[in-house]
Amino acid sequence: MEKSGSSDGIKYGALTNYWLSGLTVGFLGLAIFFVISSKKKSVSQPNIALVDKKFLETTPWRQTYADLVKAKEDLSDYDCYGCHDKAKPPLIRFDSNQKLIIPKEHANIQMAHGAHERNNLCYNCHNEQNLLTLQVRDERNIKFDNIPQLCGSCHGPTYRDWDAGAHGRTSGYWDRSLGNSTRLSCANCHNPHAPHIPTREPAPGPHSLHQDSTHHERAEALH
Amino acid sequence: MNSSPSYTDKTSDAAMSRRSFLRGCAAFGGVSALAASLAPLRELSDYTNTEQFLQKYYKELTPSDMTKVIARIEGEVERQYGIRPHVRDLKPMDGVEFVYALNLTRCIGCRKCVHACVKENNQSGSPEIQYIRVLKMPHGSMDVEKGNHNYDDKQVPEKGFFYMPIQCQQCKNPPCVKVCPVNATWQEKDGITVIDYDWCIGCRYCEAACPYWARRFNFTKPDIPKVRLNPDMAYLGNRPRKQGVMEKCHFCIQRTRVGKYPACLEVCPVGARKFGNILDPESEISYILREKRVFIQLKEEIGTSPRFFYYFDK
Repeated sequence: MEKSGSSDGIKYGALTNYWLSGLTVGFLGLAIFFVISSKKKSVSQPNIALVDKKFLETTPWRQTYADLVKAKEDLSDYDCYGCHDKAKPPLIRFDSNQKLIIPKEHANIQMAHGAHERNNLCYNCHNEQNLLTLQVRDERNIKFDNIPQLCGSCHGPTYRDWDAGAHGRTSGYWDRSLGNSTRLSCANCHNPHAPHIPTREPAPGPHSLHQDSTHHERAEALH
Repeated sequence: MNSSPSYTDKTSDAAMSRRSFLRGCAAFGGVSALAASLAPLRELSDYTNTEQFLQKYYKELTPSDMTKVIARIEGEVERQYGIRPHVRDLKPMDGVEFVYALNLTRCIGCRKCVHACVKENNQSGSPEIQYIRVLKMPHGSMDVEKGNHNYDDKQVPEKGFFYMPIQCQQCKNPPCVKVCPVNATWQEKDGITVIDYDWCIGCRYCEAACPYWARRFNFTKPDIPKVRLNPDMAYLGNRPRKQGVMEKCHFCIQRTRVGKYPACLEVCPVGARKFGNILDPESEISYILREKRVFIQLKEEIGTSPRFFYYFDK
């Protein structure tokens, strides 16, 4: 053993010194390891961009006449007698294939209603006596803001489902005692002249944690 | 570093001997190394505190305990995201049992529900956690093994396919609840199977037990973009989760238990999603189950009896 070299009188053996120096080296090594390992992330996280806001929209696809009135929008498109003559219902013309000829003033209309686009007679729905209203086959006149009545005159089961809340969009409160709910009208989703829902761009698919190039090819192959 | 065998150079009256210098170095090095080795614990300080550690089981919390817990959660969220949230502990309503129905004829596979859900329920953006999975399935088969959820078509729906979104089915007989070793997940009386994120130990038994792949695990600390944080939160619902706990669809507790429709239903552009109280014969969900061609509960043969129904129009 050795004699004390310090003023506090504690004695240290050579063995203790070896231990102390060994521990110091060990701790320093650990410290360097922890500092380095805390800097880098253990899981490489892919940088996933936020989804485009258009995919979070809850607004309906289309606006109906009633919506336009409510929003005080430009209603000049609905001013039929600005061009047409009240006493003279406009004529409907067909080409040699029995396909409806759409006049150039109404070129924005695309007709695709019914199987093989057979519901192409304007006055099946529009009222030729008063273009500002619609008509059903039993000659009832229907206003533009009451379209479900018109659509329902042909699409009975769908109207029944819509009326019960099973067809179409409902939003707001499921508990009617706590708040209001709104049920969208037919033309909020369907274009009356071409009611089939058009195809759309889907929102991006899921990203897996360890996504690589082979994953993408596999997804393609599954198609 | 070695102690010298020679003691002749020792000067006991010196202000600092070689030995005391070395000892000081060793002590300083040791202390700083210890401090550095504890540094990773600093990252945990956001989550682990004595208050949370000593928190009682959800069902044993008194209203005053709950007030404290909610104050703690609101403080934690504000510290992390800079937004003061409105956290509530919403209880199931009397005479209400929720049922979901999804119209497979209408669904176009646009995945809007997936992303509306992520935003509403504060799911992690990266790594990505999503509760809803939309399967693209070939016509003529109900075999989910033939489904593909990675489709990246330019336009949907594609001819010859139908789309089947799958999320938590809120089973009447939930296998996930049975396997939980700590009762951190249970079925409430309105039919929603909930998770207490403060009680979950992250063993992932429930994930393995679920036949619908509805449960998600937070492998890392969730990364919720601040701009998309929804401050309207519920304790058993969409409050931010921490690393190492499970989460899943809870029918938007923060919305449905105050009478609103879930977020996935609100955003559905074709009205394929229907939700309501099955105990109310006047509700649209009762009408659908009574009148429509409701054809399945997914995997009904395994006896989980989901509260999520798929139906057709024609």
